[in-house]
Amino acid sequence: MELLVERLLAGVTNGSVFALLALALVMVYRSTGTLNFAQGECALFTAFFSWWLAGQGLPVWAAVTAGIVAGFVLGAVIERTLIRPVQRKSELATLIVALGLFSGLNAAVSLIWGTDTKIMPSVVPNGLEDYVEVLGARVYGDTVATWVALAVVAVLMTLLFTRTQIGLHMRAVADNAESAALAGVDTSRILMLGWGLAGAIGALAGALAAPLAPEQLSITTMFPIFIGASAAALLGGLDSLAGAVVGGLVIGLAEAMITGYVPLVGGAMQQTTAMVLIVLILLVRPNGLFGSKELERV
Amino acid sequence: MTTTAVKSTVADDPRTAEHRRPILLAEGSRNYRLVVAGILLGLVVLALLGSTLSAYRMGQVTTVMITATAVVGLNLATGYTGLLSIGHSALFGVGAYTTGILIVEYGYSPLLTLPVAAALGFGVGIVVGIPALRIRGLYFSLVTLALGIAFPEIIRRFEDLTGGASGLLIRSQYLAPPSWTGLTRFERGTWLYWLSLVSLVVVMFLVRNLIRGRIGIAMRGTRDHEVAIRSNGVDVARIKVLTFGLSGAITAYAGGLFAMNVGALSPDGSFTLVKSIELVTAMFIGGAGTLLGPLIGSVVTVFLPVLTSTWTTGPISGVLFGVTLIVLVFFMPEGIAGRVQIWLRKFIRVVPPDHPDVRAVRRHSRFSGDGAPGHSPDAIDGGEHPLDSLTDESRNEGNSR
Repeated sequence: MELLVERLLAGVTNGSVFALLALALVMVYRSTGTLNFAQGECALFTAFFSWWLAGQGLPVWAAVTAGIVAGFVLGAVIERTLIRPVQRKSELATLIVALGLFSGLNAAVSLIWGTDTKIMPSVVPNGLEDYVEVLGARVYGDTVATWVALAVVAVLMTLLFTRTQIGLHMRAVADNAESAALAGVDTSRILMLGWGLAGAIGALAGALAAPLAPEQLSITTMFPIFIGASAAALLGGLDSLAGAVVGGLVIGLAEAMITGYVPLVGGAMQQTTAMVLIVLILLVRPNGLFGSKELERV
Repeated sequence: MTTTAVKSTVADDPRTAEHRRPILLAEGSRNYRLVVAGILLGLVVLALLGSTLSAYRMGQVTTVMITATAVVGLNLATGYTGLLSIGHSALFGVGAYTTGILIVEYGYSPLLTLPVAAALGFGVGIVVGIPALRIRGLYFSLVTLALGIAFPEIIRRFEDLTGGASGLLIRSQYLAPPSWTGLTRFERGTWLYWLSLVSLVVVMFLVRNLIRGRIGIAMRGTRDHEVAIRSNGVDVARIKVLTFGLSGAITAYAGGLFAMNVGALSPDGSFTLVKSIELVTAMFIGGAGTLLGPLIGSVVTVFLPVLTSTWTTGPISGVLFGVTLIVLVFFMPEGIAGRVQIWLRKFIRVVPPDHPDVRAVRRHSRFSGDGAPGHSPDAIDGGEHPLDSLTDESRNEGNSR
């Protein structure tokens, strides 16, 4: 029982990180229509930035906030300067720019901050003694922080999209950019904002993930998380925010449960098993669980 | 260069076309044959020159050719048919491990393992291709991503056969050149140089023929407009599965060559997603959906890191690589081969022998004097070969305006 609860909690925690980064991916997909391969590396960059600020004597929460702001700026600048000029050329071109960013940002991080592993301070107390017991399982501060962060971001996003004019504009642009522009929406600003928000959410995910990740904060920290997040986004449906959250949690839980309870597969093939499950789900629902069907005009 | 024959000239700017008419080369004419013979001769000379390189350089060229063969496979699925795959590292690995295991465990002679590797790659490709019938676009890329992630884990799991995480070592005595080549054990580099060269040339030749035929048109149609090509009577399902199978076969074959070349395989070495990214990058830099693109792109991706690391060391070369990639996309989104093709078409165009322009030029030279100013070769082109122009119309949307 204790073990089950512990695994469930671990699954939800990993899943929350996946879900946060998946939300970032969905934001980008809704603006630009591609998968941002560099999303994880952007988060890596901002996480290192926060780590560095914290090392300069800034309180951790301020450093993380600064990282989130940096993520917003980074996302917006990337959209404006690198993505928009090539976006019209082809989908593949956009993808390659993202791949270039992926390798460039990763190398930039190791250039600026070195390749050795850093210990990222956590926003909340996460010492060995800082836990509460739930049904016999220990729940640490930073695990709770990821759940809270996911819940807060999800609520804020829902409010943004359903209650504000900017959110309405964003939905309009995602639905049909040309019509939105004709109706007077400043498409250009909305696209930048979409990427900016994605960068900020990604930065939050990076800051929360780094203290939890088995390899702490190093240049390889974000790639597996990014893979999990993109699987989550695709499972949920690339254009669905709710799908990203559900997808992330499902993948986190599935990995934790498979590792724990399928001895044949064990720890060695958990990612494979999770991916095979996703492919099977996609075979039944080709646009993800909540994704909208793409209509093509002939 | 012969691929220009398939392409039409939608991209040509009509203004420059009026200034200098490109030279027309009719396919099968004497001039055309001379040019082809010249290019072939040049290639043979290059190949012979390559064989005189130092062992180290020759090894690099071999690496380029093996990578290029793998990219040719990827190009078939992604460049021509539009199925973006980020799992080709796994297909590459299937070939490499097939060759490795057959040599080490079953005592096969290395050459005989290559057809087996290709056949297995075909099988895996078909299995992965089947979801493509229902799952499209980026969602299909996720299926290939699953393959890419699964492969190293599977290799690690079945360590009895594959050597697991510690790797699979093929002793060099097994990899000696066959006796009929007259090469000694210590000339393995030369043997692999020629083997991968011949393989690459044969594979490229086969792909060229495939692309120029009905299947090639069906493939490009599937990429450019699936609904349209289906309503033209093409069995899109068959094309997709078949293409992915063939693509897998070629890439796995390249993997087999890789195993013979390197002699040591490990799941985290060359068969992770990083390899897939490298292959996609090479394809794109060279030119997706072009014949020579994979070769050019492989030259760039193999030598660019070497080059950048001679200027600087450590992570800066990684930054430079990323920057170069982005710059390339900005200035030549159609890839190097695609760009060169568009540029060359201003000067030389290869056309079928019954092309109206060829006849027009003949007539023109007979009654020289009044060049018809309103005459637009592009319009005729588009009308005569609607399917041929599919490729370029989509790629050069921006330019033609």
